[in-house]
Amino acid sequence: MTGVRDGQQDLRKREFRRFVSWSAGAHLAVLGIVVISPGFHSRFDASQVIAVDLVSLPASALAPSVAPALPPPPSAKPVPPAEKAPPPPPESPKPKEVVLPKNPEREPSKPKPAPKPQEVAPKPEKDLDDLLADMRKDAGETAPAPKPVEQAAVPAPSATASAGTVKVSPEVLAWMRKAKLHVRSAWVVPPGFRREALETHVTVELDASGAVVGEPKITQRSGNPWYDEGVLHAIVKASPLPPPPAAGEWDFVFLPEDAAL
Amino acid sequence: MGLRVPPGGRSTLRSLAAALLALLAVGAAARAEDRAPIVIEGGKGKTYRIAVQRFADRSTPQSAERIARFREALQNALEFSGLFQRVPDGAFLGPLETESLDDGAQIACPDWTQIGADALLQGEIARDSEGFRVAFRVWDTARCRDLMRRRYVQKATANPEDVARRVADDVVEAFLGVRGVSSTEIAFVSDRSGNKEIYVMQADGSNVRKATANGSINNFPNWSPDGQAIAYTSYRQGNRPLIFLSSRGALRPGRLLQSDGRSQYRAVFDPIGERLAVVLSNGSSSEIVSVDTDGKDVRRITQSQSIEVSPTWSPDGKRIAFVSDRTGAPQIYVMSASGGDEKRLTYDGAYNTNPSWSPDGLWIAYETRVDGQFDIWLIDPEGKVNVPLVTNERSDEAPSWAPNSRHIVFSSTRRGRADLYMIDRDGSNLRRLTGDAGNNTAPNWGPFPR
Repeated sequence: MTGVRDGQQDLRKREFRRFVSWSAGAHLAVLGIVVISPGFHSRFDASQVIAVDLVSLPASALAPSVAPALPPPPSAKPVPPAEKAPPPPPESPKPKEVVLPKNPEREPSKPKPAPKPQEVAPKPEKDLDDLLADMRKDAGETAPAPKPVEQAAVPAPSATASAGTVKVSPEVLAWMRKAKLHVRSAWVVPPGFRREALETHVTVELDASGAVVGEPKITQRSGNPWYDEGVLHAIVKASPLPPPPAAGEWDFVFLPEDAAL
Repeated sequence: MGLRVPPGGRSTLRSLAAALLALLAVGAAARAEDRAPIVIEGGKGKTYRIAVQRFADRSTPQSAERIARFREALQNALEFSGLFQRVPDGAFLGPLETESLDDGAQIACPDWTQIGADALLQGEIARDSEGFRVAFRVWDTARCRDLMRRRYVQKATANPEDVARRVADDVVEAFLGVRGVSSTEIAFVSDRSGNKEIYVMQADGSNVRKATANGSINNFPNWSPDGQAIAYTSYRQGNRPLIFLSSRGALRPGRLLQSDGRSQYRAVFDPIGERLAVVLSNGSSSEIVSVDTDGKDVRRITQSQSIEVSPTWSPDGKRIAFVSDRTGAPQIYVMSASGGDEKRLTYDGAYNTNPSWSPDGLWIAYETRVDGQFDIWLIDPEGKVNVPLVTNERSDEAPSWAPNSRHIVFSSTRRGRADLYMIDRDGSNLRRLTGDAGNNTAPNWGPFPR
């Protein structure tokens, strides 16, 4: 009886191993077909990919649907092979988080310290970049890999704004800089307001071309209605702004003091 | 047996994967970037570009001279505000002259935004036997909405220039929330005629005229709150300084109060024009008293044996800041307007004098001696914040606030002889107001016209 039981157990084990092998092979085959098929990468170009901030996502958002069918994660964060990827930008040799000082022009030599690791939500075991890099590698792709994710932490403008920093992709950060210059050039701050403690927060809806849609909404008033009116005038006057990375609502904070003063 | 993928299955899988990843990307980006505001520190512009339509003249009969004077004065007053830069008429795409100020009248805003105008000023005047009527409308051209509509009637005899300045000051209010000061006047002392007389000029330095012509020495002019009288110190009777009134209103001109044998150094109206703080001196010490506008009901305010001078009232009339040498050197103090409850305000500097309380009550401007010359500083009435406003290697003295608390006029010897300058409260926009002749000192900025 014992031998029969052992034989049945062996058979079950073999069947189970066969089933697992078949299942894993099937999953890999499906993913391979998906990845190497034409048009896949055109749907996910680099600019879209690097705009993603997985840090703020719960790990469970990715795990159930994608992770099981992928190869196990490497022990270290993958660096795109030199022959396949262009050298990373000199100012950001590897993916890392950069914290901008509150006012780079004013205090270039005193950036705020980088956020402590524990202040950042734990990353999932494998983030989207890693997954895509693995898939490309598996597919034998030779196209340039996506640029390393460089996320800049944008500080809150004042004590009244939410504390901490917000991660912004390079693409968005570049647009924010352009938008800042653009709106600033349209904004008139009379001398009488320049040294007052005024701060106005405005939410502006932009369409894909950068045009202001509707009336900007003041989310925090300065306490001086004429200053607030001047801010609204500046935003509407500045329309269209440079085309934003995405149509929708964007937040602006207006402080009267010029850093150069 | 390989994996069987149904026809179209690959594209379906790709679509699903693409949709999933795209959703994740958009969601993550939106959540993160919603919290990342674009912080703009300081606008590039300091002045609004304003298009000024020619005010239509609805008078019967019309007067080309009147409307021309009005327009010129309006342009000058807007420029004096420091807030506006005019768009040349030649650039206009819209009408040169105001066509209608009716409530329903609209403007073609793109006509004005395309020429770079932030604002448009429209208006009309009409002078007849009933008065000098003016109406105007200020537009925010970018948002295409009007910021201000006003109409009022002045006396039929009003000067076109005075009416135009009033309009310009209101336009400033539409953008700053405080009136402009082109329609206000500044009294001051000048020796341009050979002796020190009291003069009055518009706040922009124009239209200088004499308020005294007694050939003696006159000093320390001070406006009544209604702008209808000036109290001043003069040696015109005898060899001792006495307080006089120069009036264009109800107050009786001439000596303010009878002499008790002491010198009368300076008189300062309270904020409602019912009493004056007066400095009296017996030679070795001086004290501050208050009197009514008839020179009666003399009340002693300070009780010290020291030299106490330079009173200035708080805007609510409840306190007086003054200078005392009770510690051996002149310093600024604050006390109750009826005397008592004295508190020393200045501790920095060995010689602080000439305080001037801002009409909004927030600041006291004063002069402080540094290396033998004077600078002008601001201190809050509680003495917590003390900041320099005007510093120069030459002397800057006798600060006096504009009625909108945005500007200060003072006397400076930075060009050699003494001239009057104005500066914004934040230290910007320094402008010289006099310079034609003589030494010009002791300015006192008058109230808004009523």
